[in-house]
Formats: sequence, C-alpha cells, structure tokens
Amino acid sequence: MELIEVNALREYNYKVPGGKLVRVKMELDDENITSIQILGDFFLHPEETIYTIEESLLGSKLSRKDLLRGINSVMKEASAELIGATPEDIVNAILKAASRGG
Amino acid sequence: MEEMRLLELETHSAFENMAIDEAIMLAVKEGEAPPTFRLYRWRPSAVSIGTFQSMKDEVDLAFCQKNRIDYIRRITGGGAVYHDYDGEITYSLILPRTHRLAPDDIIESYGMICAGIVSALKILGIDSQFKPINDIVIGEKKVSGNAQTRRHSCLLQHGTVLLDLDVVKMFQVLKVPAEKVSDKMIADVKQRVTSIKEVLQREVLFEELRAALVRGFAEALGIEMYARTLSQSEESTARRLAEEKYSTAEWNLSR
Repeated sequence: MELIEVNALREYNYKVPGGKLVRVKMELDDENITSIQILGDFFLHPEETIYTIEESLLGSKLSRKDLLRGINSVMKEASAELIGATPEDIVNAILKAASRGG
Repeated sequence: MEEMRLLELETHSAFENMAIDEAIMLAVKEGEAPPTFRLYRWRPSAVSIGTFQSMKDEVDLAFCQKNRIDYIRRITGGGAVYHDYDGEITYSLILPRTHRLAPDDIIESYGMICAGIVSALKILGIDSQFKPINDIVIGEKKVSGNAQTRRHSCLLQHGTVLLDLDVVKMFQVLKVPAEKVSDKMIADVKQRVTSIKEVLQREVLFEELRAALVRGFAEALGIEMYARTLSQSEESTARRLAEEKYSTAEWNLSR
C-alpha cells in the first residue's frame, strides 16, 4: 500500500493587541509554505492584495526576515494599507502556526 | 449646502442589500448617481462576514439553514455581524473617492463618517464616542460597528446601529474564537456590547432610530438630504449582482 503524505493544516489565531484577529491556515513541506490563507477581521485596502500576499508566500522559507520582506514588498507594490494588523502581525501568526507542529 | 440622495429605510434580503450597495457604487462611478445615504433592515435576519473571513469558520451554517437565517460575505473587511431584523438598522454611505469625506487617511475618514452615528445617538439622548478603528461605544460597550471599502472609484462605508440585542441568538449564529472574546479578560459579550434599548431602558421604535439617523448624519456631515429611489438602471444592476454574485456559494464560501 502506498503511503500518501498528508500535510497537516497548521492553524493559528493571532490576536493583535488592541487590534483585530489574524488567522493563518497553512501547509508546510519541510521548511517551505505550500499553501496559505490569511484570514481575519482586519482591513486591507485594496482588498485583492490579500491574494497577492498569499501567492507571494508560497515556497517561502519560514524565516521572519524572508516572510516580512515578502509581505512588505507586495504591500509597497500595491500601495496597499493594512488596518488593525501589521505585516509583522501576519508574520507572527505564520511563525506561530508553523511551530504548532503538524 | 451640499446635497446628498437619501434612500429611505427599506427592508431587503442580505443579497439584495449588498447588491444595492455595489450597484450604487457602479452608478456613482459612471457619474449616473449622486452621493447616496441609505438605511435598511435585513429580512430574513442574516449574518454577514468580512471579506477576509471564512464563512465556515465564523458562522454556524447548519443553525442558519435550519432557522432560515441568510449568510453572506461582504466586500468590506471587518468581522462577522448578526443583522437581526428586529434589532438593528444598517446604513450605507456611498461617495466618489474624491469626496471630502473620503480623505486618504482611512481612520480619519471613519471618524468623520461615524460622527453621524454619534450625532444620531445624541438626538436620542445618548452620549457616545467614536473608538478607532471603526466602532462607536457608549462607555466601554460597543453599539455600532462599521466597515469601509474603496473601489469602483468610490468609498462605501456601511455600519450597524443596535436597537436591541439578542445575545443568545447571536452566539448561536456566530462562532467566536476564544482569542477574540477574551480580549482584556472580558469573556461575557454583555459587558462588551450594548443596545439603544438597554441604554435608554425603554421601548424604542424603529421610526425613532430612523429619524435620528437621517437627522444625525445630515447634521454631522453638513449635508442636506433629499429623498429619492434607486434608478431603473441601479435596480437592474442590483438584481443581477444579487443573483450572480451575492447569493452564490462561489462568492460567499470562497475562503
């Protein structure tokens, strides 16, 4: 019988102090992100930027520096604005989700 | 004095309400509609989630289906809101992106527009405050939540004003994560949310709140409202959007 490796969904609810909630759902392959959703009750203008952020994180290593640089780069290119959370908060949520274990 | 079209309080389904908002934005974008303020109720009662939320995470779908409560995803961010037909009035303000009430500073913009609610509550004899980012509070308790999007060359801000709160129903409909509820160690929603009826300790008619909102927004925003209806074109666009977007699983369950 062939064993199919299932990547467990890693999830974390990150409550921004005095702000909104950021929920990350992702799958990892070793140290790289293979799927990710960034959910929450924050605001992001323009809203479509969330998809660009998520796409840009695919294949990303789980280093704070890499993750932050990726998100900031997308934000800058889209002239986007996050309200109720910061790129750092999103990175925190991602790292917390990763450390939870599959 | 600057004028604004007023769409008087009407009741529609969740899908129609969100479709009307977007239809007006598209009409304003084309220069076919003026800045518009509308008031509405939701029937059936419904839950709306923010555009970055997942319906399955936020809403007890089985409970909603069983109790014929609609559920819908908004185009605005923010959280999950239970729109009780018997409990609230929702407003929408649609403006061209260049309007003075749509400065680049989004939080400033929330403050300017939410002043309408503060003003309306004052008319009802209630002191309230705008609490950035997007809340109106009476003391420590929230009575209004608001959300904004900027698209179609427009600004849309919509928000609810709680006339009466059915906490039991709200918790049956919504799935609230512990991380959010236990902010500031307060787990009981009754300590965090209030309603006009609770504050005034008397029966308050929808008509009272409706009139206060129209006058409150007019006074706070410095505008003169003239009552009109949607154009044929807006109605037709709204019908199409309700059918092709807002009532579809593809839109509502996409995250």
